[in-house]
Amino acid sequence: MPQITVEELAALMKKAAGVTVSPEQLKEQPEMGFDVLGVDSLGLLGIVGELENTHGTPMPVDAERCKTPQQFLDLVNSTLMAGA
Amino acid sequence: MSEPKDRHAAITGIGVVAPNGTTTGTFWKSTQEGLSVLDRITREGCEHLPLKVAGEVRAFDPADTIEERFLVQTDRFTHYAMAAADFALDDARLGPGSVPDAPYSIGVVTAAGSGGGEFGQRELQQLWGKGSRFVGPYQSIAWFYAASTGQVSIRRGFKGPCSVVASDEAGGLDALAHAARAVRRGTDVIVAGSTEAPLAPYSMVCQLGYGELSREPDPSRAYRPFTEGACGFVPAEGGAMLVVEASGTARARGARIRAVVAGHGATFTGASRWEESRHGLAQAVRQALREADCAPEEVDVVFADALGVPAADRAEALAIADVLGDRAGRVPVTAPKSGIGRGYCAAPVLDTAAAVLAMEHGLIPPTPNVFDVSHDLDLVTGGARVAELRTALVLSRGLMGSNSALVLRRGTAQ
Repeated sequence: MPQITVEELAALMKKAAGVTVSPEQLKEQPEMGFDVLGVDSLGLLGIVGELENTHGTPMPVDAERCKTPQQFLDLVNSTLMAGA
Repeated sequence: MSEPKDRHAAITGIGVVAPNGTTTGTFWKSTQEGLSVLDRITREGCEHLPLKVAGEVRAFDPADTIEERFLVQTDRFTHYAMAAADFALDDARLGPGSVPDAPYSIGVVTAAGSGGGEFGQRELQQLWGKGSRFVGPYQSIAWFYAASTGQVSIRRGFKGPCSVVASDEAGGLDALAHAARAVRRGTDVIVAGSTEAPLAPYSMVCQLGYGELSREPDPSRAYRPFTEGACGFVPAEGGAMLVVEASGTARARGARIRAVVAGHGATFTGASRWEESRHGLAQAVRQALREADCAPEEVDVVFADALGVPAADRAEALAIADVLGDRAGRVPVTAPKSGIGRGYCAAPVLDTAAAVLAMEHGLIPPTPNVFDVSHDLDLVTGGARVAELRTALVLSRGLMGSNSALVLRRGTAQ
């Protein structure tokens, strides 16, 4: 399965949580917390839901508990890899 | 009243997002000029409904003042609340650091009747159109009637007592009274009020069952309370938030006390039992006057509920006479909401804002679209009336039977 890129995550953060952040910023500061970026728990849940609908596969329960974009991408991409 | 002198509940800030003005200044200008902005409803998906006229907020872009991350998770009614709260706090000059022990000394109280119907409809359409996986998580909070209190407190970081009053249209006044009580009990500041957004297809369909709703398609005839032509009320959106603050705190930081919430009373007489609302409303006024230590002779102006239903108008006119006695026919009464519509819980909060502004300007705004008064009331019509106003009485009734009255005293430190 295709991996989720920082570009895709940035677009989802905008769509689901109304948070504008550039892919470059996510690459440079991958450990900056979702809370600092302004994505709350419901916003992250919305991002997970969008990904599940787009990729047609469930994400791990822990995805919505990730604290940073890096953690989130690592977890989600390893799941997609395993399912491929 | 029994509370210490420095704990009167002062109004130090007013924030308005109304059909006739999206700043307090334009709201007052339109209100005192008696401008009617009632018009045909233009919202998408509402064209086929038998409700044709309302007061829409048109000159307002929430993105001008609210961050996108708050916009995506909230309904229009909360957009209005966040903006109005900002305006009120700016008006009160309440920035970070201006109140001791903040943020715990600042709370939020709102009332809401219809909640976030537009947001809810969008997500329910996703549910039935695509499936449960396509419903956004913010549905869980956005359409809840408590959303505005929560989002205002989160966005501004207020951690004092927060609550939501659910008591029908009169809840707008009850929210202000609740704020006043919280202030008297020791909280320095409460941001209080109500905003509503009932002009979306789902929300409008919910209202169609109200027998009191006007179906008159002519905006100039749709809402004419206290007249022979009274044929119901028209809804409105928007509302107001006020800063209710301990008078001592306000004085200590040099804030202007615009008015004092002096007394409140609330009763319940049952849904659409308008004849019985006479006694309920009169009793609410008596309670409010008693709490304010105010004699009926001291009331200088009445902001009427003015439902626009003949039986309800008659009951209100009689209630005013019951309380004010011989003076009833000579005390000016006004209902500016006939020019903007009734924003459910927000309506009496806008009336309260107008009453404060009226006392400040010594000017009673008129009742738009009303010319032939058919009750024994000194209803102010046509143009604004100059008057020395020290005490204002604001009345509100809900379709489900709540009656409330609020007594306001003019501020002293100008």
